[in-house]
Amino acid sequence: MRDVGIIGYGSSVYEKKASRTEMSYMAEAARAALASAGLAKADVDGISTSSTTLAPDNAVTAAEYLGLTVSWASVSNAGGAGGPVNVLDAVRAVEAGRASAVLCLAGAAQDGAFFRDRIGRFNRSIADYLAPHGCGGVNGLFGIVQRKHMETYGTTRRQLGRIAVDQRANARANPAALLRAAMTIDDYLAAPVVADPLGLYDCVMPCSGAEAILVGPLDRAPAGKGVRVKAGRECHNHPAGEVSPIRGGWETFREALYDEAGFGPDAMQFVQAYDDYPIMVAIQLEDLGFCAKGTVGPFLASRSVTFDGDLPVNTGGGQLSCGQTGGGGGMIGLTEAVRQLRGEGGARQVPGARRGLVSGYGMVAYGHGLSSSALVLEAA
Amino acid sequence: MTAPMHPAMPKVQETLTNAPMLAAWRAEGALALQRCADCATVVFFPRSVCPHCWSTRLDWFRATGTGRIVSFSVIHRGLPEAFQADAPIVLAEVALAEGVPMIARVAAPDVGAVRSGMAVRLVPRDEAARYPLPTFAPA
Repeated sequence: MRDVGIIGYGSSVYEKKASRTEMSYMAEAARAALASAGLAKADVDGISTSSTTLAPDNAVTAAEYLGLTVSWASVSNAGGAGGPVNVLDAVRAVEAGRASAVLCLAGAAQDGAFFRDRIGRFNRSIADYLAPHGCGGVNGLFGIVQRKHMETYGTTRRQLGRIAVDQRANARANPAALLRAAMTIDDYLAAPVVADPLGLYDCVMPCSGAEAILVGPLDRAPAGKGVRVKAGRECHNHPAGEVSPIRGGWETFREALYDEAGFGPDAMQFVQAYDDYPIMVAIQLEDLGFCAKGTVGPFLASRSVTFDGDLPVNTGGGQLSCGQTGGGGGMIGLTEAVRQLRGEGGARQVPGARRGLVSGYGMVAYGHGLSSSALVLEAA
Repeated sequence: MTAPMHPAMPKVQETLTNAPMLAAWRAEGALALQRCADCATVVFFPRSVCPHCWSTRLDWFRATGTGRIVSFSVIHRGLPEAFQADAPIVLAEVALAEGVPMIARVAAPDVGAVRSGMAVRLVPRDEAARYPLPTFAPA
């Protein structure tokens, strides 16, 4: 079996308002991914999408728009957890001979008004049993989750603010980030209240753009630029029947993930965690074993999570500072991880980055996101 | 009778599955829940299949309409137009007396007094018409 992994990556420009279609942003990210791999369009024979805004289009019609004839096409239904799932599926598809080079795409052409209109119809239970209560996008749902974590474990807003503040510091070293103004913890704490206990800097900004990952045999990557997928897992609807849990599917597969990878949290030089809200990054750090359950508050209080800190998290600024390109929010951590493992992080390069974790979260339904995913990556 | 429902309030799509719940709320300001006839699991939101045992025999019953706030958020900004006159509004996870969790609005005269653990009950019947779904108030 060929040694398959990530051989290219690319990001489009990010914009607060859409200046073009979602497919156009995806094409820009795809061009960059092919260029980073040294491959031509004709080399691509597989495609997958993990976009939440592409319907009624899909991976097959994306192939039509991009003029690709493919032997494998796949669509994720895991929302912001879809990026890691799609890349894992693409690796397995290439290993199985279903395709030889798969383009994984995610993005959106949207702004805040578009998002607010769409989120009330994101799925049937939100439309019928949450939107009529005035849940305010989904900020209110995550306000419930954060308060529960704070009241259960004593976590404070100041502790969680470390995530937003340090990611902003990372974004200041990333020219592509949309939000780059300096932010202190006092700025964070003093921001307008949105959905108490959530303030303005807890809530991700919807925007337009796309991300792309190219999967193929590692010997087709430029020398020293391949990234191996050491392990990957997904979990949906855990814990079943709870509406506002302060844990997620990551806890179900953490041990198996690290067993398969052959190393665990201590061996990672960075984490790219799905960051629609800092509280969800905090829950991922707990559930993925970077600290014990319930201890993320003190854990954050004694650390820096900047790209040059003691546990770099979302080293490009994450969605919280770059903006959320719909389903592309599930892939921005992947492209940033690959950028870091190739040593192409520029002013935000994590020194000696060889291994990292990427985790996904998404498909918000009745109360919380149903989907969790994670990949362990290593420079090949 | 208090103020009627805001005309821009998001609509609940009435289906064969949720019609009994909507009817109980609209006609009587009451909370109707489903209980599985085979495994006795209490279900909310309305389903056609018991998520515990996959039975399709889900019977409707009248709930007490009482519960406790497990956690909540006070939403100040980003609300749709229909809710802005009421802002800030409280959205809560409510543990119903019947043992099932629900996310619902809590119409609190003093938002600052809302606490986790607080007992809640459905709003008085003559206020129910303001709200598209079963809505609570401090007990």
